[in-house]
Amino acid sequence: MDTVINDFVQVLRRHGLRVSPAESLDALHALGQVGLGEHGVARDTLRTTLVKNLEDIETFDRLFDVYFSLRPQQERPRAKLDVHDHDHDHGQPTSMEFGEDAGGEAPDSEEHSHEDKENTDFRKYFDEDRMRPSEDIHGEADKMRLSMFSQELILNRNPGALNQALQRITHQLRLRRARNMFNPGDLVTHGQGQELPLDVSAADLQGLLDHLHDMDVDEALIRQLEEQSEEILRGLPQLIEQMVERQKKLEKKKDDSALMRRSLRKVFEFSPAEQRETEAAIRRMARQIHGAKTRRLKQDRTGHISVPHTLRRNVRYDGIPFDPVLRRHHEKRPRIAMLCDVSLSTRNLSRFWLHMVYQMQNLFSKVRTFVFVAEMAEVTQVFEESSMDRAVEQVFSGRVIDADVNSDFGSAAEQFKNRYLPTINHRTTLVVLGDGRNNGKDPNVAAFEEISQHVRQVIWITPEPRWGWSLGSCDMPLYEPLCDRVEVVRTVDQLAGVAEDLVRTRA
Amino acid sequence: MFESIEEVREKLAGQEYVCDRRLATVVYLAVKLDKPVLIEGPAGVGKTELAKALAAATGRSLIRLQCYEGLDEAKALYEWEYGKQLLYTQVLREKIGEFIGPTKGLREAAAALRDQEDVFFSENFLVERPILQAITSETPPVLLLDEIDRADEEFEAFLLEFLSDYQVSIPEIGTVKAEHPPVVILTSNRTRELSEALKRRCLHLQIDYPSPEVELEIVRLKAPGVGEVLADELVGTIQSIRSLDLRKSPSIGETLDWARSLVVLGAPSLNKDLIEETLSVIVKYDRDAAKVLAHVRGAAESKDLGQKEPTGEKQNEGMYEMHRSTHKHAH
Repeated sequence: MDTVINDFVQVLRRHGLRVSPAESLDALHALGQVGLGEHGVARDTLRTTLVKNLEDIETFDRLFDVYFSLRPQQERPRAKLDVHDHDHDHGQPTSMEFGEDAGGEAPDSEEHSHEDKENTDFRKYFDEDRMRPSEDIHGEADKMRLSMFSQELILNRNPGALNQALQRITHQLRLRRARNMFNPGDLVTHGQGQELPLDVSAADLQGLLDHLHDMDVDEALIRQLEEQSEEILRGLPQLIEQMVERQKKLEKKKDDSALMRRSLRKVFEFSPAEQRETEAAIRRMARQIHGAKTRRLKQDRTGHISVPHTLRRNVRYDGIPFDPVLRRHHEKRPRIAMLCDVSLSTRNLSRFWLHMVYQMQNLFSKVRTFVFVAEMAEVTQVFEESSMDRAVEQVFSGRVIDADVNSDFGSAAEQFKNRYLPTINHRTTLVVLGDGRNNGKDPNVAAFEEISQHVRQVIWITPEPRWGWSLGSCDMPLYEPLCDRVEVVRTVDQLAGVAEDLVRTRA
Repeated sequence: MFESIEEVREKLAGQEYVCDRRLATVVYLAVKLDKPVLIEGPAGVGKTELAKALAAATGRSLIRLQCYEGLDEAKALYEWEYGKQLLYTQVLREKIGEFIGPTKGLREAAAALRDQEDVFFSENFLVERPILQAITSETPPVLLLDEIDRADEEFEAFLLEFLSDYQVSIPEIGTVKAEHPPVVILTSNRTRELSEALKRRCLHLQIDYPSPEVELEIVRLKAPGVGEVLADELVGTIQSIRSLDLRKSPSIGETLDWARSLVVLGAPSLNKDLIEETLSVIVKYDRDAAKVLAHVRGAAESKDLGQKEPTGEKQNEGMYEMHRSTHKHAH
């Protein structure tokens, strides 16, 4: 059992879940408690012990289904057979594909329709009389003494044997196909091929049973399995087929379509849920920014007298409070200055940024916001006084700064240095939102360097992925060494990612 | 305590706590493996209730620690009782002559005193706070650390030792270890991400809004005055409201509040007007209210078109059906 669970944990890790050894041990102990009798319970058990992040639950469920369900659903095989009947004409190309895929070649990505065809094809190689009895077994699930789940565990224990069987079958089929080159669709009607997989598997099943004795499964279970070996044998072709599918699914990389779908366009109209998400992400991020507000009482020269601490310190003076201990809430307010590029090149994104800025200003007391294109202007006031949409409109209207010229980080930095630098101090965190495209103008690294030395830390958030920096007139490579962090953020998700990242790297 | 997962379910049901098998499995494992359970989920889905029901079902006492920003070990673990210590000093001063009377010389007197030193930092002066209480208690209680996400990250760090070994190290005394580990339940509303270390030590359980069947059962149990028809409609409506994109979806608590207020109003069944009048019970934001109203009206109207003579009750039943189907789609 342990090997199977370990293997499963490996699969989870490969798909980005973080499972510690302690957790997989927990999973084993837990399975020991609940037993393997029920699929659902085993699943809940593994989920509760192995998965600790909500985002991962979906992945887990998917992988669990794939990994531990070698058995077909009851409806499926027949449906597939029907398809086969109607689909007689796709002869050669699909059979070829089947042979190649099952032979262990890496499956490619455009796969769904593909798999179905393959199923159909595979079934062609077994005649229907052979298949019916095995289906009946699944039909009378309650008669089976050994639970599905433990069978699956056992079969998972020794994937090698099954693979071997599989390869041999494929090999045989290839030979046959070569012989029947002109009429590959007719393979089914020949007698010999059908027997083949069962012969191969009979030997391998014995191997499986042998392996069982090495495992820490109790004797009764093994005996049950042996009794059932007939049934398993009959079901084995299907098992093998599903094994292939399973292997493929397990290998398949997580698709990022969900992430892609939440593309930029959606960001502008914040749904309440997204608004909540941004808020949460910003809150989390703010915790990590130096100088964030804390609520903990700290000893200080001013504040309230703390009786327990005073007494404790003054025990040495017989409890006469010579030396009072004062404590107060330290409100280290985050001092944040945000510089937001609102030029044309980032127009779409700056809308998203301004929303973000707006929320930051709502959440924290000391946030100053500046917008720039070629000149720099403070808009803290605007954001405080008007609603979010109106504030954003006002910035783009051109009344604050001329928003329609080409962006010029150099002169903006120069202006910021001269005009505003004296008003911020070494406790301020500077957040720059911009793509660093200077349109060929002087990057003025010196001015930016002076700013970055003056403030506590500089976080630069850019929409441009790193590989794009070398293209066009992007001066990010020059600015990057001066920043404490450079983050690529295009969506709410990524913003949350940055926050998450900050949490991790701090420890 | 429990022999099977089914038993967990039955006993919790005996406390009017309806749960699915998944939840029962986790509770069963927590008890069997002596592991804390971390429950995450939106507000009002019965996270805290579970701890209460579990305590009642097993006949154990419930120790509850509500977490908040700035909660520190002095309030959660233990604190020294300084007043008592002071008093002791006074007593000791009077006794000290008597005590070192027979000794010869300063050295011996100091040695005699040294032997008594730990008198000050002994269990006598310790004020037990919830976590220490849970550890030292003779009969293992159920310890509920409510809304752990509200506490500071430093506080999570205190908890780590306790959660993994059910022990607390007090520098002056040593390690206090629980003989019978308590059942620990932590809840979180996910206002922030908890640390990996904490999560690793716990079994994880995600509770979401219940399925219509479970919610119906809850309404029947907890608001017995509600008639069958009304309960059906109520749950259907709530479920469909949850599928809207709201800032704050109505929780089970709000469903029950709504059910009870409808009982007070003596309503036999739901209708559009009634929903509008009592909306404030389930929806807490203006913008959400507008959305829900639009939704309810839309549902009622589309039904009007479909039926030629809508009688009050049938119309609502239809509405309920529709809600159920939208709900299924949402899944």
